Amino acid sequence: MTKPINASFQEIIKLDVGKVKNVTLENEYAIFTNHLTKKFKDFTAVNDLNLKVEKGEIYGLLGPNGAGKTTVIKMLTSILNPSAGDAQVLGEKIPDGKVAPKIGYMPQETGVYLGLTVDQNLKFYGRVFNLKKDEMEKREDELLRFVDLLDWKNEMVENLSGGMKHRVSLACTLIHQPELLFLDEPTVGVDPELRVSFWDYFNQLRKKGVTILITTHYMDEARHCDRIGFMQRGSLIAEDEPLKLLEESGEDSLEDAFLVFSKRDKNRRKRVVS
Amino acid sequence: MKFYRVMAVSRKVFRDVANDKRSLAMLFLAPIFAMCVFGLAFSGDVEDVNVIIVNQDQGYTSPMGDTTYLSETIISNLDTKVLNIKNMGNVDEARQQVIDGKASAVIIFPENFTQNALLKTQDPSYPDSAEIIIQGDDSITNIKNSILQTVNQALSDTMTAEGVEPALKITSDPIYGKDAEFIDFFVPGILAFVVYLLTTILTLITFVGERVNGTLERVLASPVTEGEVITGYALTFGVLGVVQVALLLAVAILAFNIIVVGNVLLAFLAVAILAISCQALGILLSSLAKRPEQAIQFFPFVILPAFLLSGVFWPIQAIPAWLRPFSYLVPPTYAADACRAVMLKGWGLTKIWPDLLALVIFALLFLGLAVWSLKRGKN
Repeated sequence: MTKPINASFQEIIKLDVGKVKNVTLENEYAIFTNHLTKKFKDFTAVNDLNLKVEKGEIYGLLGPNGAGKTTVIKMLTSILNPSAGDAQVLGEKIPDGKVAPKIGYMPQETGVYLGLTVDQNLKFYGRVFNLKKDEMEKREDELLRFVDLLDWKNEMVENLSGGMKHRVSLACTLIHQPELLFLDEPTVGVDPELRVSFWDYFNQLRKKGVTILITTHYMDEARHCDRIGFMQRGSLIAEDEPLKLLEESGEDSLEDAFLVFSKRDKNRRKRVVS
Repeated sequence: MKFYRVMAVSRKVFRDVANDKRSLAMLFLAPIFAMCVFGLAFSGDVEDVNVIIVNQDQGYTSPMGDTTYLSETIISNLDTKVLNIKNMGNVDEARQQVIDGKASAVIIFPENFTQNALLKTQDPSYPDSAEIIIQGDDSITNIKNSILQTVNQALSDTMTAEGVEPALKITSDPIYGKDAEFIDFFVPGILAFVVYLLTTILTLITFVGERVNGTLERVLASPVTEGEVITGYALTFGVLGVVQVALLLAVAILAFNIIVVGNVLLAFLAVAILAISCQALGILLSSLAKRPEQAIQFFPFVILPAFLLSGVFWPIQAIPAWLRPFSYLVPPTYAADACRAVMLKGWGLTKIWPDLLALVIFALLFLGLAVWSLKRGKN
């Protein structure tokens, strides 16, 4: 304690409470970003983003192509370094390797090896996370059953359909039982039936306490999320539970709600400029 | 750096190659095919050159009364494997054959050929020398040189047989490479070339795939570091390079009976280090390509410098002096040199270490740059 002696008791208490509160706050969140910014040369992909995702929730990032959703995920998974600001993922400051074993990342481009079999893909990602042989077999069996690919275990991934590749990709993401999932457009090209079962599974994972940050441009799908953040031009323009967003915008669908918020955001910008 | 993660990457790369029959064929059959094609077709020896001999030699009748035709002896000594000989009586008609492209040269023995030759040998003050006139199509230097060489050889054989000892003589007494043929020079070079080429191209394509398919991102989001990715790749391609070379060497020894006087393990070592730098080069180049098709555009830049400068197909001394420094900037130069020294001269580690050191420096440089390029991609 380096406070001067004449400082009042109250001051000291206030300071300490503030400090403690601050620390616990950031740690409580699965994801906590602080003015997170990413620039590619002159283009700002993510602009001053303050995102808070609580542990155990499914948070959906929604927005048009180029809104910066993928860039946010890539920074949070340490694939890209932020240009400014900082972020904590599961209490660890990123970019850092410490948090990597606890997160699972499913890239948009499926991120599976086409020249390997389903089994070889899963084994590779399992080995990367140092899964032991017995555990690996067990996990693999469970996951393949879930994504309904048990019969395709020894098939080369390049011979599978687009939807099947996505299922392999999801299985690879989950092999090491991550606490936090980053799913970048996981349901693109997945048929409606399977999409429903994906969401069932995401809900099951949430019940187990897994946090999920998901990007999607299927607006109707986003209603499964606990909370939604609308992204536009690298910034969050609105954030709340799906129903509250509908309420606030006075619209019936999230798509229309997005348009309302987007318009408001544009007007606000205009006002700032003028 | 964690060993299990490096091994996971290495195993994965190995599986990826082993699963793909085309990659396997490219790695193991293409080099053998290339060696056979180049080794047999590109031996550098010229054969079956059409020449026309116009022999006007009247011979020389000695005071004893017997007539000698030195020209005929020389003609009979010409190597008929190299030259397809046709005889004609008229110089103009023979020249016409060359003009029409039906023959490469006319070899003319003038009327007084034997006479001048014998008289000049007996009396050096005799005014006229014996001459063989070759009028030919000199536009293909290889052919021109082999005609000259063949005639020269026949000439000196004849003189030796006739008991005429030349005043000046060159004796070749090889220290290394006794009985070496072109293939013996060529095989060690092609070992280096093949490993350089296939490793660079295969990693380039594989790694562009990693970038495009999102697997690289998934791996980098996992605990695997950039250094572990590159070490894993290096391990696999180092091993594959050695297997490739061992197979190629086995075929070269069995089919072409090439000379191997040194310890081939040293050649393997050189090639393994070369493979490690080449895979790093492939990864480095992959950062410049966004799609696999773009990677293909780099092939000429990968192939040509090594093909022209590394001394695989012809010695570095055959490259213009101003270009030669660039030879030392392409890694296969050192590997080819080391393999040749080991296989043809039997040199050991104490003599080839400068080559190995250069290869290690290249490997470290490229590995470092490859890691840097992956890290730079994050910004």
